[in-house]
This record gives sequence, C-alpha cells and structure tokens, in this order.
Amino acid sequence: MRTSFNGSHSEPRAVVYARATIGLASRDVRVEDVPCRNLEDVLGGFGRSFQILAERTITHAFTPDNPLIINTGVLTASNVMTGLRTYFSAYSPLKVSNKGLPAAMWSAGSCKFGPKLKWTGLDEVILEGRADAPVYLVIRHTEQGPGITFEPAGDLLGLTCHEKIMWLRDRYADAHFAAIGPAGERYEDCYMASVALSTENQLRSGDDKCRWAGRGGMGAVMGYKRVLAIVAQAPDRITKLKPEIRDINKAASTGPGSRKFREKDKGGLGGTWSNYEPLEKFHFVPQNNFRPTGDGKPELMFREHVQPQFIVKAESCFRCGINCHKNVYEKNADGTRGAFLAKFDYEPVNLLSTNIGIHDPRKAATLISLVDRLGMDNISLGTTISYVMDYNERHPDAPILNGATFGDFDKARELIEGAATGRFPEVGRGVKRLSEQVRETGYAMHCKGLEFPAYQPDTNPGYPWAIAGGHMSMATYMALALEGNTSLDYWASLITGRGLLFVRDDLVGLCKFAGITADHAVEGLKHEIGFEVTSAELLAAVRRSFVRALWLERKQGYDRSDYTLPSEVFDRPNPNLGVPPFVTREFFSQLSDRVWAVFDREIDEIAKA
Amino acid sequence: MPRIRFTNLFAERIGGVNSVDVQGATVESSLRALTDRHPNLTPLVWAKDGALNSVMVVFLNDRQLGATETGTPVGPSDQIDIVPALEGG
Repeated sequence: MRTSFNGSHSEPRAVVYARATIGLASRDVRVEDVPCRNLEDVLGGFGRSFQILAERTITHAFTPDNPLIINTGVLTASNVMTGLRTYFSAYSPLKVSNKGLPAAMWSAGSCKFGPKLKWTGLDEVILEGRADAPVYLVIRHTEQGPGITFEPAGDLLGLTCHEKIMWLRDRYADAHFAAIGPAGERYEDCYMASVALSTENQLRSGDDKCRWAGRGGMGAVMGYKRVLAIVAQAPDRITKLKPEIRDINKAASTGPGSRKFREKDKGGLGGTWSNYEPLEKFHFVPQNNFRPTGDGKPELMFREHVQPQFIVKAESCFRCGINCHKNVYEKNADGTRGAFLAKFDYEPVNLLSTNIGIHDPRKAATLISLVDRLGMDNISLGTTISYVMDYNERHPDAPILNGATFGDFDKARELIEGAATGRFPEVGRGVKRLSEQVRETGYAMHCKGLEFPAYQPDTNPGYPWAIAGGHMSMATYMALALEGNTSLDYWASLITGRGLLFVRDDLVGLCKFAGITADHAVEGLKHEIGFEVTSAELLAAVRRSFVRALWLERKQGYDRSDYTLPSEVFDRPNPNLGVPPFVTREFFSQLSDRVWAVFDREIDEIAKA
Repeated sequence: MPRIRFTNLFAERIGGVNSVDVQGATVESSLRALTDRHPNLTPLVWAKDGALNSVMVVFLNDRQLGATETGTPVGPSDQIDIVPALEGG
C-alpha cells in the first residue's frame, strides 16, 4: 500500500494498493496499483472485497466467474499487535438463499501468512477462473516486485492441511502458507471446506497448529479452482516501533479488552474455552443439537476438570502478547508435556463434544484434530452432525446415514471422515441442504445456510442479520447472558447499532481478541500509513460495509423468508433454559419489522450509490 | 481517584471512552459512581437485584476479585477493570 498525499491526509484516492489478478486457466498474471475509491477500499478486508464481489453476477459458487479474493487489512503486517489477518472472500457454496443463489462471504484467519503476503509487495490477490490441473501458487518478493509462479501440485494431493504445509515448509524458506485439506479437494461433496494458514509455532515445532479461515466454504472455492496451496515468500519487513504504536500494543496486551483471552496467571480469564462456566449458569451451553437439558454435563468440559488430565499451554500468533491459543497436550507419566493433541476453543469444543452428547475431553480433542487435519469448518460440521444425531433420535426406526445418535463417538468420527472423503456428502454440504432433503428443517440450526456457532438461537434473535457467521459478524450472541434484556427496543437497537460494528476488525486487519478501541485503530492508521480519519468516519465505513453485505444478500435473492430462526425456537420453547422464552413468533415478527425499517432505507442508499 | 477501565462493550455506550476516574472508597462504591455518572452502563454492571452482574469479572490492579470481594478498599492510584466473562471467537 502506498500513499501520495497532496495536502489532505484523509483522501482515499491518495492511497493505492497492490493487487495481483491471477488467471488460473490462462496463467496470466497482472500486478497493478489500484487507487482506492473510498474509505472502505483503504481499510481493506471485506470492506474492499465485497465491492469487487458486488460487480459480479454469480449464480453458482463453483463457476470460473466466481473470484476468490485473498486480501489483507490496512493494518495487516503493521506494528499494531494482532495485525495479522488474511481475508478470503467469494460467493459461498454454503451460504445460499432459499432461491438457491450463493451469497457473498468472507472468512478471516490470523498468524503470519497475511504479513508475508503483504511483504511480497501485494495487498490483494484475486484468483480468477480455474486451473486445468492441481497447482500451488508461489508468490515471492523480488527486486522487480511481486513474482508469481504456478507449480504442479501432484505431490500435495490427498495430504492433510498440516502435511501440505510441512511439505511446503521443507521446500520454501522464509515463507508462510495457505492450504486446503482433503475436504477442499472434494469440494463438490464438502461445501464447508476451510483454508488453513501456517503459524510460526507450527513451522518450528512440526505440530499441527494451523490457524483457519474456516467459515463459509472458502476452502471449497479454492478446491474448485484446483489451487491446493499458496506460498507467500518474503523476508520479514518489520519497521521501527513508534512510541504511539507501542502504547496501543501495551493497551492491547495488558488492557481490559484482551483479559478474556489471556491466561489466568497473566490477569486473564483463560480464553474462549472459559465461556462454558458463565453460559452454564443459565443453561445456555448447547447440548444435543442446541437443546440444553440442565443436567450439568457441560461442566465435564470446564477447563478446571480437563486440565488435571493434560498439559494446557497458552501459545500465540506471531508477535502477539495475548496468548489466546489454549493448546492441549498429553501429560507424560512424569508430569512433563507430551504430544500435542488439539487447540481448545469454546466453539469447536462444544460443537464436537457437549452438543453431540460426548463429554470426554480426549474424545473432543480427537474429533477437533481430525476436523482440522481434513480441513473443514468445525462449526458447520459439528452443527450438521448434531442435526444427524437429533434426526436419528427422532426416527429410531428409519435413521439416516450411519445411524449416529448422541454420544456415539465412533459414528461421529465416521461422519467427519465421510464428510471429507465423499462418503457422506449430505453432511459435507451442510445442515440447510440436508434438512431440506429429509424435509425436517425445524431443528436445523442455521441461518441463511451458515450453521450456528455454540450459542443458543433461542437466546439470540439477532442471528439472522449476521452476515458472515453468527458469532463473528453480529455481536448479539451473548447479549442475553450479559444484560438479560428481552425488550423489542433493546434488540432492535442492538442489531441495527452496536451489534453490526463488531465487524470493524474484519476490514482493518486486526484480531477481535485484542479488544482495540476505535480510537486506537484510528491512531494506528495515522502512525502506520499516515492516513487520518476520525473514529466516527471509521465506524461509518464499517456500517456501510455491513449494509453493503445485506444489499449483496438481497441481490442474491434473499428475502424476509431467509431472515428467520429454526421453527423449533418458536414452536418448542426449551423449559430448561435459565430464562423464560422470549423469542416468540410475534416478538420476532415485530423485531423484523423494526430492523428492516432501519436497514431497508440504508440498503436503498447503498444500491443507489 | 481510582480509575475504572473497561472493554469496547462498555466504551461504545459512552462515546468511545474506555476508562473513567471516579470517586470511591471501595471497588463497589467506585462501580456505583461509574453507573451514577453513566446510567446506561447500569445493566452491564449490576443485576436486577442490585448485585454485581454475575457475568462480569472485576480485577483490582490485575488481581481478579471474587464475588464477595467488591468491598475491598481502593485508593487514588488503584486501577479497576470490569470485563465480561463471555466472548467468543
């Protein structure tokens, strides 16, 4: 990214970013400087990629015209701590309207691939078309600018994400990698395939410790394009740390915003895994396909109960002081640390254990690790498996697939393997399609084709307006536990106001776990690239980007029938929840009217623009 | 005056301010002073029965306080953090 300010330091057109457009079939590569059209272009991430997607007419995710946009945020590779994000954007095979059209989607991942990509000299890569045969791309920093080559990927076929990354590590020094797994290679059977990003810890230790752009099937789009991996090779270009940035980083690493994710002995609360305890107070921890029973079994996955059996080590992404990775290792007989098992975050742990009736941390680690190796989104997969088990409990005489029911570890593992290998495409294509196929949609836990993360839909009527997954693009999933407010005014205001601003970091390149304030992000922009913007302007650009995503959904056929919750939320209230049911049909209908009264007007403005 | 720091969840309700200096002799009275000054933070800090919101965690100078420790005295240089125990990602 380059700037050429002439007077004002707030003019987006004074900022240009470097883009490579790669024609996979023709092998044409075009590298160009692109002037920013608006603040969203400057900020990057989905703020920029969704403007590109808006220019396309795409009716199926697996077509050559559907681009896979790999970009960064303005603060990716900066000295602002957690400036490590890479975004993958495309029309999604998983997120589809009821009319069957794919929706625009992005998924973000951390660690060093994003910075390395930027250090090759590129801010954005657009993969166009489809390669004739499996390839991996090598993007290098050269004296003449970014150099891009195509390499045959026959040796990578069939390898797990981690194995692909290790294979590439052994051949490319000073590089980081993005790779798909076997699931992405079988994209036609697995729409929930993810993209793995290498980490420093992984390359050094050889342990399977990828980070993920997991949601929405971006790995399936990459698999369709027959790009099995991308290498970003460049020397680190770390600049001198300015005092202003040092202050921001200190606030991020020691301030209240990251306490949730830090270790207890570092003044923290122990990471997302520790969500189990506050949620279980209200019986909000999903069990048996999002149907908490109140039997106390979620406690078996509390960290305090798991930790004595294993070694839990807090580790981190590149140059991050938060140490949010809670990595679980075997504990040797002498008490020392043994083999790495899995990274425990609340959502994968819940969805691959408690929510499928398994209450054993070792089994949870086995399933999480398996999903990671095969390269799938553990949220989409876990929620689809819980649906299969629920269906089979309801139809003991006519079960589907392998007949898995809650608590059956071996059959859960079989479903996971089958989703990635083509044995169970009904699972790999997600819960929306499966539930429509078997004609029981009422307890299929998704909105708009994206499966729910590990938060109850009967506590979150904001789910339908999330634009890229329920817990990363709409900050309403924990609101009931936090405030206990069930009024229409509260929910309409939350969804159309603070809730949507949650996606701010999905433009700028930072991680939400840093808890960086808008003022700090603005300071970061000023001191890292010299661009001056107010917090209000920044947040206005975030809002425009969010509304543009809603407009894009409308363009793909979404209507009010898509913006709803599974019918069992309305028709079968769960008496075990710690609060009286409030998401009735009447409540939700009134809420929808209120929310659309705000968004419809703004969508019209975006459409005109 | 003790300083209370909080996350974006709080800051975004009071114009982006992420810390406030308050008059208070204890952690609890400092938090009361905070919500007296910014009433729209009340539902985050206090439960309906007036007790501390059970989903919030309070730190005093980097030490996590138990639910019964909010009566701990504070001085002018003390730093109180209040953070939600619930965040995903």
